[in-house]
Amino acid sequence: MKGALMRALGAGFAVALCMLASACGGGGDDVGVPGGTTTTPSGSNVAPATIDSGPANNSVNTLFVSVTVCVPGSTTNCQTIDHVEVDTASYGLRLLSSVVTVALPVQTLSTGASLLECTAFVQGYSWGPVVSADVQIAGETANSMPVQVIGDPNFTNVPDDCTGLGTAVNTVADFGANGILGVGPFVEDCGSGCAEMAVPGSYYACTGTSECAATAVATTAQVQNPVNSFGTDNNGVIVQLPSVPAAGAATLSGSLIFGIDTRSNNASNASGTETVLTVDDGDYLTATFNGRSLSQSFIDSGTNGIYFNDSDLPVCSASGLTDFYCPSSTTSLSTTLTGANGVTASVQFSVANTQSLLNNSTFVVFSDLGGTFPGSNVTFDLGLPFYYGRRVATAIEGYTTTVGTGPYFAF
Amino acid sequence: MPRQFFTIDDRVIALIAALLATLLSPSIASAALGEPESSIQGDAAKFQGAVNSIEHLTYRVHEIALPSGTVVREFVAQGGGVFAVAWHGPAIPNLRQALGRYFDNYVAVAKTTPVSQRRMDINQADLVVHVAGHMRAFTGLAYLPQAIPSGVSVGELQ
Repeated sequence: MKGALMRALGAGFAVALCMLASACGGGGDDVGVPGGTTTTPSGSNVAPATIDSGPANNSVNTLFVSVTVCVPGSTTNCQTIDHVEVDTASYGLRLLSSVVTVALPVQTLSTGASLLECTAFVQGYSWGPVVSADVQIAGETANSMPVQVIGDPNFTNVPDDCTGLGTAVNTVADFGANGILGVGPFVEDCGSGCAEMAVPGSYYACTGTSECAATAVATTAQVQNPVNSFGTDNNGVIVQLPSVPAAGAATLSGSLIFGIDTRSNNASNASGTETVLTVDDGDYLTATFNGRSLSQSFIDSGTNGIYFNDSDLPVCSASGLTDFYCPSSTTSLSTTLTGANGVTASVQFSVANTQSLLNNSTFVVFSDLGGTFPGSNVTFDLGLPFYYGRRVATAIEGYTTTVGTGPYFAF
Repeated sequence: MPRQFFTIDDRVIALIAALLATLLSPSIASAALGEPESSIQGDAAKFQGAVNSIEHLTYRVHEIALPSGTVVREFVAQGGGVFAVAWHGPAIPNLRQALGRYFDNYVAVAKTTPVSQRRMDINQADLVVHVAGHMRAFTGLAYLPQAIPSGVSVGELQ
C-alpha cells in the first residue's frame, strides 16, 4: 500500500512516506462515530460500504460496495464483484471487462447491430458494450438493466469522436475500482438528448467488431441508475459514513442505504434539522466561498477530495502535488451551499497539509484532503470527505419524499 | 455516421460563412486551436453543429451548438488564428478536432490525471487548458497565452 496516496493523487514520483515512525505500520484503528446519535443501519436495503486502497492499491477516499450481476432471468449464472465505486455524480453501473467472468448478453438494436457506448470523463473516455444484467445490491434487484462493460477486448475499434475525448480510461488501474455504480440524482447517463438523435461521442451501433456509427438510443435502453429500477426503495440513496480522525485512517466502514422514507432505516428528518438542497440540470448547486458565488458546485462521492480555489491557502511545492494545498497547519474553513430551491446550508471543513498526509503510507481515508479546482473558477467540488460523519441523501429526479422532490441532496 | 467534408476553396467557405452567419448555417467552419482562420478545415461540419459568429473589438467568436447540447466557442484574433477554445454542456466535444496539434499534449497530461479528480489542467508556456465536470455537465477552456490579443483578459474566454 506504500505510496497509495501519491498514486491516487497522480503524483509521478516517490517520496519518503514513512518520515514519522509513529505513524508507520499502523492504521485502521479508531474510527469515530458520526454525529453522536447515528447507528449502523441494517436491513435488506443496506449495503455495507467500505473505503480502502482498492483493487489496484491506488485509491484514496474511494467508497466501494459489492454488486452481483446475473444473466437476465438466471439465479445461478451470477457473479459478485467487489470494489465497485459508489458515485453520486454519475448514472448507471459500469464494470471493467477484466473482472467480469459471467457471460452477460450484449444489447443489440433492431438492425442487429451491437450497442456500444463511449462514456466521457474529464480525462477522456471509456469504451465498451452495453450488456443486460439483473443487478443485485444488498437485498435489492433491478432486472435486465443496461450495464456498460468497459474495455471489452472484443470491441477494440473506438470511433474517432470517442478517442477525441482524451485518453483511454479502460482498466481497473485507471479507475482504482472494479466498476462504478452511478447513483446520482438523475436516471439516465445521457437522457432525452441521446434518444432524440445520434449524438457523436455517446452511443454507437456497431456491426461485427469494427464498423460503428453513432446512434440514438431510447432512454430505457441507456445505461442508467439501477436504483430507479428497484421494486421498492427506488427513489434514491443515502450514504452514511462515520467521521474520520484528522490524521486519517487506513480503512472506513459505512453504509449505502437504498430508498428514502421507504422504511424506518431511511427516514428523512422532517423536524427541520435536515437540509434539502435541490440541484439544477447539471447536478449543480451554488457554493459561496470567500465572498464569491460559485454556480457550478457539486456534491460528489466519486471525487476523492475537497477541491476549490482559495488564494489564501498555499499549494504544495513538491512536484506532482502543486494542485493540492499544503497549509502550515490544518485550516478550518466553511462554505455556504445554496440549492436551486434557494435553501442554504453552511458546511464546515478542514484542509490539512497534503505533504504531511503522505507521511503515513498506510492511510487512504482523509477528511481534510484538499486541492485547487483549476478546471473552473466557478466550482466548489465537495467530494467524499464531505460525507464523513454525515448521512447524505440523494433523491432521484421526480421522486417526492417527506422533505422534498428530487433531484436533491439532503443532509 | 454520415459526415460532411468540404473540399471547396477556403475563400469560398469564408465567403459563405460571412453571408450566412446570421442563418446559423452548419456550412460555416472554424479552425482548431492554433490554426489560422483562413485554413478552415470544418470543425462545425465535424461537430455537426450550427454556428453563430459574434464580433468583439479585437476578436471574433465562432459559437458552435453541438447535437449533444454542448456549445463550443472558438476565439479568433483579428488577422490571426484561433487563440482559444471553450466548451460547456452535457458532453465533451471531440478535442482532437478542437485542439488540433495540441491534442497529443492534452492526452499526455490526461494519462497522469486520476479519474477520481473531476478536474485537470495544463499550465505550459505555450498552452493552458482547464477542464472540469462530471457526467452530463462538463466545461473546458484551452488557450494559447502568447496569442491572446492585447487587452483581452482570460476571464473573457468562456
